[in-house]
Amino acid sequence: MAAIVRISSVCNRGVKPLFYRSSLLSRPLVAQQKDQERSYPLTARIHGSTSLYAGSGSKAASLHWTGERVVSVLLLAMGPAAYYFPGPAVDYSLAAALTLHGHWGIGQVLTDYVHGEPKIKMANAGLFLLSTVTFAGLCYFNYNDVGICKAVALLWSK
Amino acid sequence: MAFLLRTLARQSTCLSRPQLGVFYRHAVPMGTTAKEEMNKFWAKNNKLNRPMSPHITVYQWSVPMMMSITHRVTGVGLSGGISAFALLALVLPGNYPYYLDLIHSLSIGPALLGLAKLGIAFPVSYHTLNGIRHLFWDSGKGFTIPEVYRSGYVVIALSILTSIAAVAYM
Repeated sequence: MAAIVRISSVCNRGVKPLFYRSSLLSRPLVAQQKDQERSYPLTARIHGSTSLYAGSGSKAASLHWTGERVVSVLLLAMGPAAYYFPGPAVDYSLAAALTLHGHWGIGQVLTDYVHGEPKIKMANAGLFLLSTVTFAGLCYFNYNDVGICKAVALLWSK
Repeated sequence: MAFLLRTLARQSTCLSRPQLGVFYRHAVPMGTTAKEEMNKFWAKNNKLNRPMSPHITVYQWSVPMMMSITHRVTGVGLSGGISAFALLALVLPGNYPYYLDLIHSLSIGPALLGLAKLGIAFPVSYHTLNGIRHLFWDSGKGFTIPEVYRSGYVVIALSILTSIAAVAYM
């Protein structure tokens, strides 16, 4: 239905497109009915906008989603890996996976609760800073101290 | 009204590409993105100083709802804990075993130590198990309401069991 509204606003052959916009919005169902009585059959509510975008869309969001799931699965695998094969390889992998998973996770929380372009930008900048420091700290800990796997083992042996 | 619409519809052929056929006559790319629409919503409602309609204070809480927010809370908590740990590692002098011995020397007592371990083990356990549940949903499985409740109860039970086991036997 929004498609019809858009047509009226974009197609400037009409005399009063703006007027039509508000009245069309208030009567979407009726308009649809009338179209059905015309010659062509009613097809799906064509929000085929993705197919018509032809290049103005981007796969970034969908790739981000997939990336999130991939990192989650990797992190899951690192649990037994850390238990059975503790060492620097798992330590650094854990540092990377934990930081990235946490960064993306908090990113989703911010997206849900922070509104308004400037606030969103600031919150994401702060998050980026925090994640950078977190990763740096974990790597520092892995390099100069006992490492994540050993740390957990020591903590639990108390 | 219908006449006006039909006139417009006819005029819309100036936009629709002929090869798409008659079915796409009314389909046109939206002028704004979802993000823009969301920002417009918040800008307008904040400008008009509209109060937020009650939602979590009035809607009846359900197990899936509580599990979802618990997943979020444990996630944020764990992330904060990891960040705090990393920051301390960068800032504090001395090494990890030193601080571990320091805490040990405080003679906290086994009960509180166990509680503290539980405080770490349960969020990890719950977030991990519920995370697996989320991944099942992402693969398209388990969306019926009975399945949601069943898997939810399994996650809760397993989280409690594994965290107690982790504290008691490790």
